[in-house]
Amino acid sequence: MELYSPEGLRIDGRRWNEIRNFECRINTHPNSSDGSSYIEQGNTKVICVVQGPMEPALRSQANSNEATLEVNLSVANFSTTERKKRSKSEKRMVQLKTTLERTFQQSVMCNLYPRTLIRIDLHVLSQDGGMLAACTNAMTLALIDAGVSMYDYVAAMTAGLHDQTPLLDMNGLEENDMSTLTIGVIGKSEKLSLLMLEDKIPLDRLESVLAIAIAGSHKIRDLMDSEVRRHGNIRSSKLAS
Amino acid sequence: MILSPAERSYLYDSLAQSPPIRPDSRSDHQFRPLEAKTAFLPGSNGSARIRLMDGSECIISVKAKVVLASQESSLIECDIDIAGFRDDSNFVSNLKFYLTNLLLHNFPVRYLKLTSRYAFKLFLDCIVVSHSSYPLSLISLTSYLALKTTRLPLLVSDVNDEEIAEQPTFSDDWDNAKYIDDYLKEGETFEPPIFITLGVIGPNLIIDPSTEEEQVLENGLIISFYNNNVITPISNINLATNSNNSNFKGLNRTLITKGIALGNKYCPAIISALNTLIEQDDEEGTIF
Repeated sequence: MELYSPEGLRIDGRRWNEIRNFECRINTHPNSSDGSSYIEQGNTKVICVVQGPMEPALRSQANSNEATLEVNLSVANFSTTERKKRSKSEKRMVQLKTTLERTFQQSVMCNLYPRTLIRIDLHVLSQDGGMLAACTNAMTLALIDAGVSMYDYVAAMTAGLHDQTPLLDMNGLEENDMSTLTIGVIGKSEKLSLLMLEDKIPLDRLESVLAIAIAGSHKIRDLMDSEVRRHGNIRSSKLAS
Repeated sequence: MILSPAERSYLYDSLAQSPPIRPDSRSDHQFRPLEAKTAFLPGSNGSARIRLMDGSECIISVKAKVVLASQESSLIECDIDIAGFRDDSNFVSNLKFYLTNLLLHNFPVRYLKLTSRYAFKLFLDCIVVSHSSYPLSLISLTSYLALKTTRLPLLVSDVNDEEIAEQPTFSDDWDNAKYIDDYLKEGETFEPPIFITLGVIGPNLIIDPSTEEEQVLENGLIISFYNNNVITPISNINLATNSNNSNFKGLNRTLITKGIALGNKYCPAIISALNTLIEQDDEEGTIF
């Protein structure tokens, strides 16, 4: 299978620097949560539901200095082409969950919500590459919808390296065959709050891969921002009338 | 929301009147309004999502897999995942048992047979994103929609493989895929079984009790409905799972017959409402 043709076309017809179809919605579950969002990045689809900040059920979960973030990541059995039963205690799931918790513990102004718990449920309905990136973007939007103070958007994107060429926004097939990097960028800056590389990229190529991933993240941030503004306008027009 | 003793007493008295006065002004046989979407997961054979107005939401996917029929104990497998509950908790395993048991006994499994050796096996995976009242009827109505909209690829190889061992092959064209309904004989319709929950309070039965109502019920009835009739299993259950229900008591047997009559009277309306919903659901591919 040819992942990147000599003419510069990828398996799904994109060029090296093009992202997949990105759709997002916020406030999708207004009656059952404090904040919610839905993300589609290509065929990767994630629902995120936020409860809180609220009083934790157990005293042990309360931190008197800052809010506690609890992420529950559940990947549906039907999310891949071949159905597979997944356990929540799988090593990879625990790793992704802690990665998300640590990223957002820094990006949310946790010091404003001492002694509270913010519970975030992520449901991955369909996965086709970039699951961690999609989860990060969904969490950012849902936390914004919940009105939780954050320093800025955390926009995440994947990029990989095919021979010498960096490729942006990997799909499932590409992700299986190439080394892939996931980053989370704070707003419009070039500061990274998340970086995950599960295999190897040559050090002299890393910079070009990071550069394209950061550019992609900025684009995602703009797309998420326009959705937040669209929803904000709907709300403010309801307030006015 | 947990009710105070005064609220419980007030709610009990209004529900025990005849006719009962329900807090959301529904009549005793009325379901809560729901919104639904079908066929939004491109990777699954069938999918459905139902959301009730209180925010309870359930997503179900149906995936089919070709298996050697002789090596499988059943051709349908269900799995339920409820946000905030462990997979091995009593609550989840009970729900899973209810759904699996109902489908195993009341599903036209013969139509899943492809050849003398091979068959489709259906995997029903259910995610309950959030729920407030007992989620069994929500799950079951969603599974109805998912199974009704399930499409199976068209078999193009020979049906008879007793003498020549042959792997089944399918048409590449997804437009040729058939609904389970299409496999049935003339005059038959494919209507998967459903569960509905009834609340017992004083002399009354109320359909689809809400979470507040569940806390004052004297008992709960789960009845199943298939092929235009109420069927077994019919079971009673304490629907209030997150508070201890002090009103809970034994069940008067006349109420069981009343419940069956109620089911026979109103379930066809639920089925036809769901069927209309599928017909009107034209916009494809989006979940929200």
